[in-house]
Amino acid sequence: MLVYTALPMIWMLLTSIKSGFAAMQFPPQWWPSEPTLASYQKLLDPQNSVGQDFLRFFWNSLFVSVCTTIMAVVVAVPAAYAFSRFSFPGRKFLFFAVLLRNMFPAVIFLVPLFILMRVLGLVNTHGSLILTYLTFGLPLAIWLLKGFYDNIPVQLEQAARIDGATRFQAFLLIVMPLSAPGIIATAIYSFIGAWNEYIYAATFLTRNDQLTLPVGIQRFFSENTTDFPGLMAASFMMSVPVVVLFLVLQKYFVRALTEGAVKH
Amino acid sequence: MRKPSLGRALVHGAAITALAVSTMMSTSVLAQSVDISQWSPEYVRSIAGTEEFDTAEQCGAVTPLDYQGKLTFWYQGVFEGDPDLLRQYYKDFFVAFRETYPNIELQEQALTYNDLLDKFRTALLGNAGPMMVRLQILGGVEFASKGYLQELSPEDVGWKSEDFWPGAMKSVMWEGKTYGIPTNNETMGFIWNADIFERAGLDPEKPPATWDEVVAYSKQIHDTLGIAGYGLVARKNAGNTPYRFMPQLWAYGGGVFDEADPNPTYEEVRLDSPESKAALQASYDMYVRDKSVPVSALTNQQADNQPLFLAGQVAMMVSHPSDYDVMLDLQAKATGADKEKAQTVIDNMRYGLIPTGPDGRRAVVFGGSNIHILKPEYVDGGVVDEAAAKAMTCFWTSPEWSLKMAYAGSNPGNLNGFKTSWMKERLENIEFLDVTTAMLPYGVPFPALPVTPEIMNIIIPDMLQNALTGAMTVDEAADDAAQKVRDLTGGGGL
Repeated sequence: MLVYTALPMIWMLLTSIKSGFAAMQFPPQWWPSEPTLASYQKLLDPQNSVGQDFLRFFWNSLFVSVCTTIMAVVVAVPAAYAFSRFSFPGRKFLFFAVLLRNMFPAVIFLVPLFILMRVLGLVNTHGSLILTYLTFGLPLAIWLLKGFYDNIPVQLEQAARIDGATRFQAFLLIVMPLSAPGIIATAIYSFIGAWNEYIYAATFLTRNDQLTLPVGIQRFFSENTTDFPGLMAASFMMSVPVVVLFLVLQKYFVRALTEGAVKH
Repeated sequence: MRKPSLGRALVHGAAITALAVSTMMSTSVLAQSVDISQWSPEYVRSIAGTEEFDTAEQCGAVTPLDYQGKLTFWYQGVFEGDPDLLRQYYKDFFVAFRETYPNIELQEQALTYNDLLDKFRTALLGNAGPMMVRLQILGGVEFASKGYLQELSPEDVGWKSEDFWPGAMKSVMWEGKTYGIPTNNETMGFIWNADIFERAGLDPEKPPATWDEVVAYSKQIHDTLGIAGYGLVARKNAGNTPYRFMPQLWAYGGGVFDEADPNPTYEEVRLDSPESKAALQASYDMYVRDKSVPVSALTNQQADNQPLFLAGQVAMMVSHPSDYDVMLDLQAKATGADKEKAQTVIDNMRYGLIPTGPDGRRAVVFGGSNIHILKPEYVDGGVVDEAAAKAMTCFWTSPEWSLKMAYAGSNPGNLNGFKTSWMKERLENIEFLDVTTAMLPYGVPFPALPVTPEIMNIIIPDMLQNALTGAMTVDEAADDAAQKVRDLTGGGGL
C-alpha cells in the first residue's frame, strides 16, 4: 500500500528533474540519465516570467487557503458547539441541511454562484473564492467538530460552572483545549480543500495577478504539447505545504480521527 | 536528410486543389492583394518579403496613437509547452502594443485551449465578459447567434475583407453579418517517422497516399515492430479529435453536412452516409481489428500523442508545423546522450500532405482563431471602449502581427502577412512550413452554425467512441450521431 501511494510522488519527483525530451522517452527512464534542476530553477527565479508567475500564484493560493481556514474554524467551532450542546427547534433538520450543499457536484453551483458573486461585486477578487470555499468546507467542518464535542463529557463543563465559570469561560477554558485536535483536523481539511480547488478559481478569477496555483499549473499544458518536467516540478512544489502541514500536525490529526472510536 | 517530394504530391492533387480553392474563394477574389487561386509553395515564396508595412501608422489611422482608454481582453494563450519562439512573439506583441498605445490600460488574460470556451460562456451568463475575446474558429458563430457579439468586419479596423481567406471569413459570419476578424489560419500536415518506416519495411521517404494506406501502413508497422502505427485521437470534448477525424471523413466523401461541398447549405445531414461510415470503419479497423493505434486513443489528445511520436512509439500523426519547433526546443534543452537521441528524432521527422480518400479527395480542417468585440451589456462594468478594442483588433490582425503571432504553428489571418519580410525569414528558418502552408487550399471550414462546437466536440467524438468501444456497430454509431445532429439542428437539443 505504501508503494502504491508513494509511487506517483516518486515518479513526479523523478520526472521533475528530467529534461523535456527525457520525460518523453519510452521505455521510461526511471532514473534520469542527465538529471537537471532546470525546472525548479525556472519556477523559483523571480527574474524569470515563469518564476514570477509561479511565486505569485503560490502566494495567492496561500492567502486564499489560510483565510478560508481561519474563517471556517471561526464559524464552525461555535456552530458545532451549538449543535452539540443546545436543543432548539429544527436542530436536527438544520444539522442535516448544512450538508445538502456537499451532496451535489461543485459544477452545478458554478453559474449561480458566479452570478451571485457578480451581483456582490466579488468577481475577480479572492473574496469570491474564500466565500465559495466556505460553502462546501464549513458543513463538513461543523459535522467533524460536532462529533468531537459530543465526545467531551458535559460534566466537565458543569463542574466548571459550579466553580463559578460562565458558559463562555467553560467553553473557552475547558472545551476548546480538549477539542484542539478536532479543530486542527478541521483546519487541515479546510486548508487542503481550498488549496487544491480548481473549477471555481478558474471561473471567478480573470486577472493574471490573482490566479491561484491549481489554475496557474494548467499553463504547463498547451494545445498540442505539455511541459512535463515543469508540470511535475510545479506539482511537487504545490504539494510541499500540504505535506509540511501534515508532518507538523499529524499527531493531532490522528487523534481527531480516532477520538470518536471509543465511547466515553 | 531528404525532404518529402512535395511537388509530386501537389501535381497529383492538382485537380482536387482547383476544386478546393474554388470552394474557398468568394466572388471578390479578384480584389485580393494576394491571389489565392495561384496558391502553391512556389507562389508563397515568390510573394514573401515583397512589401513593407507600418503597423503603428496603419492602426493609428483607426485609433489615434495618443488615445486614452481601457481594455479587457481574453485570448487563448501560449504557455510553457509551446515553442520558445512563439512565446517570445506573444511577449513582444503585448510590449509593442503598450508602447504604441501607452495610454490604453490593457488588462489581458491568457486562457488555455480547453478552458477558454467554458469560462467565456459562464462569464457571459453573469454579464461579466471581457470587452474583447479571441476565440477558436468554431466559437464565433455560437456567440454571434446568441447576440453577445458586436458586428465587426476587417473594414472597421482599416483592412479589406478580401485580404482574409474566404473560408475564414465564413467562420465570423452569421445571417449575412460579420462579427469578427480572423487572426490566424492553419492547416495541419501528415507527420511520419522515417526510421520506423524503414524498420517496418516501408519506403521511409514516402508517406501513405490514401487513408486506406494509412490503415495498411499502421497495421504493417504494428505487426512488424509492435508499436502503434497511427496516432489516433478520440478523446471526448477535446478540439483535437475533430481536427484529426474530419479530414479522414471528408476524404472518404462524407461530412456532417455538406460542408465540404463548394457551396454548402448545411441542410442535409451526411454523417450516416456510406462515405462517412467508410471513414468511421477505417478508424474501427485500426483500433479494434488491427489494434495498430494507441490503446489510450479514447482518452488521448494530441498532447498525449506527441510524446509517443517523439519516443518512437507512434509512427504517423496529423499535426502542426510547430511540432518540429517543439522538437528543436527539446533538443536544445537536453544534454549528453539525450541530446543525441533528440537529434535522431529530428532527423527522422518527415512532413507530407494529408492522405486522400479512395477517389483522390484531400481535405484538412481549416482552423485558426478569430477576434471579436462584445456588446456592452455582457461586459464586466457594462461598457466597451470601442476605440481601444479596435486598436487591439487592428494591431493583432495587421500583416506584421498576424504573421508573427502565428510564426511557428499557423499562418497569418491577414493575407498581406505572407508578403512581409518575416514570412520570408519564416520560410527560411522553419522546416516543413511549406507543407502545412500548401495544405491551406485543401482546408474545409467547420460549418458556420451555432451548434458546431457541440457537434464537433461532443457528437463526433461520441460517435468514434461508440464504435471503437463496441458499444455500437459502425453503422449504429454513425446513424446515432446523424440522428443527434438532426435533433440538435431541429431544436431538440442533445
